Amino acid sequence: MHKLVPVGFLGLLAVLVVAGCGGSSSGGTVSLETGDSTNAACERDPVKGGNLVYARQYETVTLNPYEVLNGAGDIWAYEMIYSNLVRLNPEGTDNEIVPGLAESWDVSADGKTYTFHLRPDLKFSDGSPITAEDVKWSLDNFGSPKVNEIMAVLIGGYQSAKILNPTTVQVKLSEPTAAFLYNIAEWPAVILPKAEVEAEGDAFWKHPVGAGPFIAKEFVQGSHLTFERNPYYFEKGKPYLDTMRWNFAVEGNSRVLSLKSGQAQVADGIPYSQIPALQADSNLVVQKTVVPAWILLSLNNEMKQLGDQNVRTAINYALDREEINRVVFKGVGELPNSLFGHLNYDSDKVKPYEYNLAKAKEYMAKSKYSNGFTMTIQYPVGFEFYKQMTLLIQQELAEIGIKVKLEELSAPNAVERWSGSEYQGNFPFPVTSSDVPIPDEYAGFYAVPASGTEGFFTHWADPTTAKKVEEFQNTPDEATRAKQWPVIQRELFEQSPAINVMDVPFVSAHGANVCDTFINGLGVDRLEFTWIASKAAS
Amino acid sequence: MLTYILRRVVISIVVLFGIASLTFLIIHLVPGDPAKIQLGQRATPEAVAKLHHEMGLDKPLGEQYVEFLKNAASFDFGRSFTFKAPTSEVVSNRLAPTAILIGYGLLITLVVGVPLAILAAVRQGGIVDNAIRLVTTFSFAMPPFWFGLMLALLLGLEANLFPVSGYESGIDGIIETMTLPALTLALALMVIVVRNLRSSLIEVLGSDYVDAARARGFGEGRIVLKHALRNSVIGTITILGSIFGFLISVLVLIEAVFQLPGAGSLLLQAVQRRDYELVQALALLSGFVVVVVSLFTDLFHAVIDPRIRLAGHSE
Repeated sequence: MHKLVPVGFLGLLAVLVVAGCGGSSSGGTVSLETGDSTNAACERDPVKGGNLVYARQYETVTLNPYEVLNGAGDIWAYEMIYSNLVRLNPEGTDNEIVPGLAESWDVSADGKTYTFHLRPDLKFSDGSPITAEDVKWSLDNFGSPKVNEIMAVLIGGYQSAKILNPTTVQVKLSEPTAAFLYNIAEWPAVILPKAEVEAEGDAFWKHPVGAGPFIAKEFVQGSHLTFERNPYYFEKGKPYLDTMRWNFAVEGNSRVLSLKSGQAQVADGIPYSQIPALQADSNLVVQKTVVPAWILLSLNNEMKQLGDQNVRTAINYALDREEINRVVFKGVGELPNSLFGHLNYDSDKVKPYEYNLAKAKEYMAKSKYSNGFTMTIQYPVGFEFYKQMTLLIQQELAEIGIKVKLEELSAPNAVERWSGSEYQGNFPFPVTSSDVPIPDEYAGFYAVPASGTEGFFTHWADPTTAKKVEEFQNTPDEATRAKQWPVIQRELFEQSPAINVMDVPFVSAHGANVCDTFINGLGVDRLEFTWIASKAAS
Repeated sequence: MLTYILRRVVISIVVLFGIASLTFLIIHLVPGDPAKIQLGQRATPEAVAKLHHEMGLDKPLGEQYVEFLKNAASFDFGRSFTFKAPTSEVVSNRLAPTAILIGYGLLITLVVGVPLAILAAVRQGGIVDNAIRLVTTFSFAMPPFWFGLMLALLLGLEANLFPVSGYESGIDGIIETMTLPALTLALALMVIVVRNLRSSLIEVLGSDYVDAARARGFGEGRIVLKHALRNSVIGTITILGSIFGFLISVLVLIEAVFQLPGAGSLLLQAVQRRDYELVQALALLSGFVVVVVSLFTDLFHAVIDPRIRLAGHSE
């Protein structure tokens, strides 16, 4: 379900996550380069070879996809070591599901049976064949809440898998689940060698065998993880790099220094304040990737003032998001037109809230609290941009009579106060993000009581919206979903059980001779595409 | 002497017991439920309860405390749930970079600090003295975090003498990767050595026995190095021993800036994840080091200054 889990988890250690979503209105996510430097050498055909060092803000803690201990630090590594039957388009231009180990699949008319046809001659990274038995076993692991404990929400309607012949596996669902293919594109559904995992037990995860583009070689906790090319990877010719080394560098400035010194060729989580300086460096390219991530200000609707729709609308109009984007996010953020970051089916007919103090005051006057009130907003410590952002918000809300008291909390504490409903306003995560590029997950959290999160701990509820969301979640037909969602998008955005302050992108940077640094719609680096051009040619 | 040692050892054990108890209380009382952090916010109450049970958090606090003390006494800190591995293994994997950082940092501090202190003392009140005091005070006042970044920027990025971050083992690797972190640490500690040694040197240089030595016609160099330094260095060592605790907080920052896989960064992670076992093990370990260092400082002190052990004896 969510990268929220990771962010919650891991995010604790997270430094400046520049995650976010951008609302380019194109409907898909795009990756655009903001630096001036482009390298002519990258225009040529990719060449094999080279070693890449990547300074990463999240540390990898475990290579076992069923135990995710450190969110993005672990998940990004799974994406290199393992493969799934289907995957999110790795080239990052849209959020389509494309073939992975399965070359094709059929869906029954009732949307409850999926038949997957495997590519011929698939092999794991140790050269052993990938069998239908491995596929069935791995899918059953995904479908078992005991094995797939942490991401059990993804299991959806999964019932069972059956081997039809050595290259065909059929999955039965208990009810049509529109998100099914997206769910099995996630890490708990990676395909693993059954016999080896069963024989080796815990030892398997020290030197795991998978079907991903790379093989994990050396893993030193707290320091680095190195990879080697998997010669049996199913996409012929990829990956291009011989080896890759991820250095865990949780401190933002330290990542930037690694990059500038040439010690690393790629760094993620670029602190916003460093973006302009890196853009000015002709040896570097700053890359911004639109992903479904946003700055979430949760509002406790049990506080009577915040339970008043007029007050929440007034807050939305009172926030000068253009200013916040310019000052805090150095212009890389985008003004939200949804309660969430940018997701599939979003319609740009829903417009962002403009900054309009007069309108904001009007809404305050219409509310029962026209004289204003005092509220406390909690935010996590350790993220440079939060101080600046919350101070701006404090000033802006003062204009409409809302006196904000700011309370800085340790990251785990901020999350706990939010999920324990002991708050008025709260930024539970440095950046909140979705694990799937479709709205099913988050719309469910806010609107569907059965999700068990009390409207994502806002205590907001609307039975009409709830019904629409449930219908949307159970509709397999894409065209119908594309019509259903914008209605829900607008309703949630207008009712604003919480405030989406800003859609924020992932910001990473790399050497100008590092080419094809694709990042998919969820922010995962697809390093099997990446190659290094000779410097002389630049 | 034996009584003195015994007394100091007993006090050390009491101090360690206090550290263990305080750590236990603090980490259990700060908000943040480790099970919820581990499972994510939408974990079912059953899953949280199950994990609480596995972690032993469903027992009364008193019972947990007694169990913790028993285990601590036998150096058993259980399993770290953050790393799904025995705590002792997780910690021991991270000790080398930190130990090297401390050792290397102290070495630079002494090698540079002692000559500076002598220079300042013999040129008391002069330009050299004032310059040394100004520079060391400045280096102490700057946060190590900032200093580390500046060193990485100047000596790493601009001058290209050292890598800006990372850790390699082996002598070559250590000299290459640990010089900047050790220098950062030394800059934070330098003022302590220089200031203390300088003032005690000045005091000693004005004392009767130094005058007597001068009267006998000994050269100034011999007087400073053989007579004065030996008697002044005691206080400085005591102070270095006692600031060991402060040092640990500096290590956390230096390790973050230079991406060192050390015990300091591990502590930070353990606190953020509320990994009780890991926090307790690390806190107790650093407490142990501080106590042992101060014990040895006291003993060393007693060995070279008989007045101390005599005082202890007479009580």
